[in-house]
Amino acid sequence: MSASREDFGIAIRSALLQRGARQKFSLFFLLCISILIFFLDTIQIKPMNTVRTLLNDGIYRFSSVVSSPFKFFSYLSSKSKKHMLTYKENIILKKELEVLKSKNLNVDFLKNENIKLREILNSQESDNLKYEIGKVILDKDSPYLHSIIINKGSRSSITKGMPVIENNNLVGVVIEVNYLSSRVLLLNDLNSRIPVVISPLSAQAILRGTGKEEPILDYLPEFFVAPEEGIVFTSGKDGVFASGIPIGKIFYEDDQIKVKLFSDPNQLSFINVILDISKERQ
Amino acid sequence: MAIFYKNFRLQIRNLGPIILLYFLSITEINTQFNEPFEIISFNLQLIIVYYWMLKDPSVLGSSHIFFAGLINDIIIGLPMCTSSICYLTVSFVASYIRTVTVTQSLISDWFTFLIAIFFSNLIYLILINNFSDFEIIYVSLFYNSFFTFLIYPLFWVVFNQYRAIMMYKKNE
Repeated sequence: MSASREDFGIAIRSALLQRGARQKFSLFFLLCISILIFFLDTIQIKPMNTVRTLLNDGIYRFSSVVSSPFKFFSYLSSKSKKHMLTYKENIILKKELEVLKSKNLNVDFLKNENIKLREILNSQESDNLKYEIGKVILDKDSPYLHSIIINKGSRSSITKGMPVIENNNLVGVVIEVNYLSSRVLLLNDLNSRIPVVISPLSAQAILRGTGKEEPILDYLPEFFVAPEEGIVFTSGKDGVFASGIPIGKIFYEDDQIKVKLFSDPNQLSFINVILDISKERQ
Repeated sequence: MAIFYKNFRLQIRNLGPIILLYFLSITEINTQFNEPFEIISFNLQLIIVYYWMLKDPSVLGSSHIFFAGLINDIIIGLPMCTSSICYLTVSFVASYIRTVTVTQSLISDWFTFLIAIFFSNLIYLILINNFSDFEIIYVSLFYNSFFTFLIYPLFWVVFNQYRAIMMYKKNE
């Protein structure tokens, strides 16, 4: 019994401390270093943050360069797919255009009415947001995290918590800022929570990422029946997001109220970071 | 010149697994198949680390495993060295199995790989749950581990072929 225990100890020691001909460090030493770095990183001390920022910027850029041939091939394949579907798409677009033309007249009327009402109420236009355009340099999908890396960082006045939009639709929020790059947490990530309002009923809810394609709506009013195809906007209640940024359309699946996002999180290439709201908050 | 060229090719061939490990860590390429099967994903890095540490540790140094893990964490956005610790745990299990086993076969490698995955995931869960704000989808983690385990024999065959070529060219 004691001999087998001894053998076990020898085998463990050998596995941990043995070094091969080309190996400079033992497994034990590297494990200790890894654990030390991990804890230094999690306690968020300033020198470690600086090191992390420098490492992030360097590795993101390098990764972007290394991944560029693959990006090019996926770009070519998506372009060719789109090209094949152009004819069908054209017919659908023509129909949509006719509908939109008729709606446009209605919008003009409402716009004028809105301006007149603002004049009466002496309120100013709230749409004076400043944007910073960024390019997605890295979009590595992990089974657990859904985020993208953009090529703008603290040098472009970006700070943590700023909302990120694409074609005026919300796509996520900045969660990590380096000098030359930032990480954006996408709406479908498990860690994402956004206060929203559902149009046309004006019900408040929380949009929660599930780690899958479509986020779901939580904390809805009791006995609330969400309208199929209702539009979800940011409510601006958290003070981080401006109110009224479109997010997506409601649909039902597996007895859950899900939201089909207007901006596909897997197809992002250029995004806008809204600067003003967070600045005011600071 | 011919000898230099031959040696260069040999070097590149020997560096294949390290290059693949770094390549998977640093590029956008991922082994998650969202279309058409959302649940299928596997961790190829774990397979590479386990196989090469078990069969020939000199091909894949522990330092390279450490750095590949570090790069992977930075790209994915996990706390630094989370993946490094997981990969090094897998290396440790592989080294232990290598020390205590006399004859190795696909079946023995495959089932001991399950122990390596178990310890790797256990450490990953402990680190993420206790020391970070991230939430984990346990089902995704389970599927990822399951398919990593399931697909191991395929890569075992591929890497065995590659190793045979390496040995043959070395002895040539």
